[in-house]
Amino acid sequence: MSKVNNKEKKLTNRRRAEFVWGWLFILPTLVGLIILNIIPIFQTVWQSFYKTGAFGRGYIFVGLDNYERLFSDGAVWQALINTLKYAIVEVPISIAIALIIAVMLNAKMQGRSAYRAIYFLPMVVAPAATSMVWKWLFNTEFGLFNHVFKSIGLKPVAWLSNPGIAIYSLAAVGIWSVIGYNMVLFLAGLQEIPKDYYEAAQIDGANVFQQFFKITVPLISPTMFFVLVTRVIGSMQIFDSIYMMIGTGSPALKKTQSLVYLFYRYAFVENNKGYGSAIVVLLLVVIMIITIFQMIAQKKWVHYN
Amino acid sequence: MTVAIWDSNQEPGLKEIMDDFTKETGIGVDIQVTPWGEYWTMLEAATQGGEMPDVFWMHSDQIATYAAYDDILLDLTDKIERSDKIDLANYPENLVNIYQNEKGAQLGIPKDIDTCAVWYNKKMFDEAGIPYPTADWTWEDFREIAKKLTNKEKGQYGVTIKPGSYQESWYSTIYAYGGEVISEDKKTSGFDNPKTIEAMQLIEGIIKDGSMPEYSVVAENGTDALMEAGTVAMSFQGSWMIPELVKNDFVKENCDIAPLPKGPNGTKSISNGLGWTASAKGAHTEEAWKLIEYLGSKEAQTKQAELGVTMAAYKGVSDNWKNAQPNFNMQAYLDMLEDAQAYPSSKNTQVWYQVLMERMVDGFSGAKPMDKVCKDFAVEMNQFLAEEQ
Amino acid sequence: MKRNDKILKAVKHIVLILGAIMMLVPFVWMILTAFKTNSEAMQINPFVIFPSEWRTDAFVKAMEKMDFIKLYINTLTLIVLRIFCAVFTSTMAGYAFGRLHFKGRNFCFALVLFQMMVPGQIFIIPQYLMVSKIGLLNTMFSLLFPGIVTAFGTFLMRQAYMGLPKDLEETARLDGCNIGQTFLYVMMPLTKSSMVALGIFTALFAYKELMWPLIANTEQSTMPLAAALAKLQGQFGSNFPELMAASMIACIPMIILYLVFQKQFIEGIATSGGKL
Repeated sequence: MSKVNNKEKKLTNRRRAEFVWGWLFILPTLVGLIILNIIPIFQTVWQSFYKTGAFGRGYIFVGLDNYERLFSDGAVWQALINTLKYAIVEVPISIAIALIIAVMLNAKMQGRSAYRAIYFLPMVVAPAATSMVWKWLFNTEFGLFNHVFKSIGLKPVAWLSNPGIAIYSLAAVGIWSVIGYNMVLFLAGLQEIPKDYYEAAQIDGANVFQQFFKITVPLISPTMFFVLVTRVIGSMQIFDSIYMMIGTGSPALKKTQSLVYLFYRYAFVENNKGYGSAIVVLLLVVIMIITIFQMIAQKKWVHYN
Repeated sequence: MTVAIWDSNQEPGLKEIMDDFTKETGIGVDIQVTPWGEYWTMLEAATQGGEMPDVFWMHSDQIATYAAYDDILLDLTDKIERSDKIDLANYPENLVNIYQNEKGAQLGIPKDIDTCAVWYNKKMFDEAGIPYPTADWTWEDFREIAKKLTNKEKGQYGVTIKPGSYQESWYSTIYAYGGEVISEDKKTSGFDNPKTIEAMQLIEGIIKDGSMPEYSVVAENGTDALMEAGTVAMSFQGSWMIPELVKNDFVKENCDIAPLPKGPNGTKSISNGLGWTASAKGAHTEEAWKLIEYLGSKEAQTKQAELGVTMAAYKGVSDNWKNAQPNFNMQAYLDMLEDAQAYPSSKNTQVWYQVLMERMVDGFSGAKPMDKVCKDFAVEMNQFLAEEQ
Repeated sequence: MKRNDKILKAVKHIVLILGAIMMLVPFVWMILTAFKTNSEAMQINPFVIFPSEWRTDAFVKAMEKMDFIKLYINTLTLIVLRIFCAVFTSTMAGYAFGRLHFKGRNFCFALVLFQMMVPGQIFIIPQYLMVSKIGLLNTMFSLLFPGIVTAFGTFLMRQAYMGLPKDLEETARLDGCNIGQTFLYVMMPLTKSSMVALGIFTALFAYKELMWPLIANTEQSTMPLAAALAKLQGQFGSNFPELMAASMIACIPMIILYLVFQKQFIEGIATSGGKL
């Protein structure tokens, strides 16, 4: 009897200790999270029902006015389309290229670490710096790309000024900058695939492409799912490259500005923080919908062993 | 004490003047430069956070927003009355009036005055056998000359004008043709005025003549850079650009300055002037006033002109300004002062200005006929102006 | 079979080399332009690829316009502070979420996950208003502010602790360690590689971040590098050699760091990124 009691006592002691230490350990994070993130979410939603004056003065409750304006604002819908277009181009292409490179590098070969280092390089430089370089490369009159185009007899292209093209130019820059990151994640995923799967397939006479689609793709699908979810969220928040590469006088601005860019412009340039908040709430809703959709869809294509 | 400005070209000259001030009074001054695009975000943030710079530049676009509250900008009215250095009669009246609030309190002292002129590439004129422009050239002449100076095979164009260079180029055209950007009472848009449209159609004509590079080139490169690269023969530049332009080797060798062309209503340079204003709640309001008083004084204004920083707001001291650059025809800028047009603005200029820039992209790129752009924008602008009231 | 393998190998290298060239073009062009004059950069007839003379004028001018030493100090301070905060708060919270059982744990962890799912811009206006209300805009504090805690780091560290074998804690407890001691002496040292990864992620993020410093730190003297570049472009938008020189100055230290610690960079991201 007493033994059992003792054990129970020990257990409750242990439980109490875990409770105290647990809360102690999460306290800094929790307090920070509440102040920095949780409260601000509510404040942003709250603010989206207000009209705000300059210098943070003169808050006036306007109900759903900001949302009414949002739904009738062609620029906002165009920005949503731009953002989605960007994501639809950037995410799948960067994943496909990164996966192919990762598969090629997933073997003992000469120069493996050099290749890996080069492909990863754009990841460690500030987008603010590389955007300026890309802007210069894309320059219609003086840029390197159009010089190459002209010298092989092609017509120069207004990469960043043609409203029909600029968003794809931005997506190309996006692809360039994330390939390395995706590749490294895929390389890590590929290393977990047992080698004997491939050996068995080879014995069965499967060629490289069959191996890729029958073994590699299904087995790497959890990593692909992770990359997909994070990259979609990331690309939906594109701002830096638009801010740096597309000026206010650019004819392509309307067809490239993203929701986040509009949010920045309204909230911090035109000082309409209420409307800016409404835009970011819209972004939140869109991202939530896409993420939930992906969570549901993953059951169809992601293989967990 | 902190002083905020947005034009880094003026920083060295202003620093020298501030150093004199420090020598005289022992008050240290730190100049902070924030580019125009972010300056107002910065100032708005600083105002809200109660961390405003002690003394800062104010612009006619923005003054109304700040003047709407009593506790943001330092009221200088009484201080000016007591001062023996400042007499508002020494500055152009329209400049003085810009920096008053609705109750008539003086919130700022004019810092400078600017005008606009045409920079041209002498060599290109020589090669085409065209005499250098003089004060009596008209906008029609300008259009013809721009056409003649264009040689697409050589990659040479007559001129670049873009929506963003409104102040130095197409606003002047509008007023030279007797049109207006905004009505005198600031209640209605001038963009549906037939004369405004006529002026904008002249600009459209220059574009259609092929005298300008493709719009993408215009949009992606600065008008000054294109002139410096030898791509364009003529370029509209405000007097605030002079310090940067005169440092460039290409410009030194090839370029000079001419007055703006004339229209049926004369030569109309848009003229604006910045103001020195101070924070009402800063910890150094007394020192701030001393600095502003000094900066507005004849002595400092003369030095500002002599150093070639900008033309002075103080009447009659700008002759020294042109002597700072003897190799260029600086007189062109001074001549523009005579029949200058005050910079068009309203209470909330920023709001319609942003939209105007967007809409004009359609006109300049040829996506939409200019008269339609103007008429459509007039409707939008009238709505904004109605909201302002 | 053998011949096929060889061809395959050659094709592989050709593809990889072409890809690598594409990756490097912007860097090469940045360097070449930075040493040109503005007229050389904007000359098209003939097009200039190599500068006629390797001039450093653009660097001198860029340095005149921006105090890069100050910018470096700001950026470095920011990185160090952010790493300290992230590692300090995340290791503790990660351990609690990953190894301890207590009431309220799941709810709190759900908050962490929730933060990771929402777009970061939703926090910005209120964060900005908070900092401005306490009058600390344009300070090191305002730069650091959004990164004091990190949901991502907490998650990362939780995964690291969850991956550790179970009997370690048991042994430590039998040796008489309390939970704090177990954490500090037994468990934490085992997550060193994840802590390094967290440090790298945090450093990269702090160095690349643009929108927040653009809003909160508008004075040049308190800016980090990325925001200063944006500012430089706004001010001298059309002088490409100067812009390229500034880009180079901003990129090269990070590139050197990366080349030296390449293994840590890539493996840190590979191991921890995959675990998420």
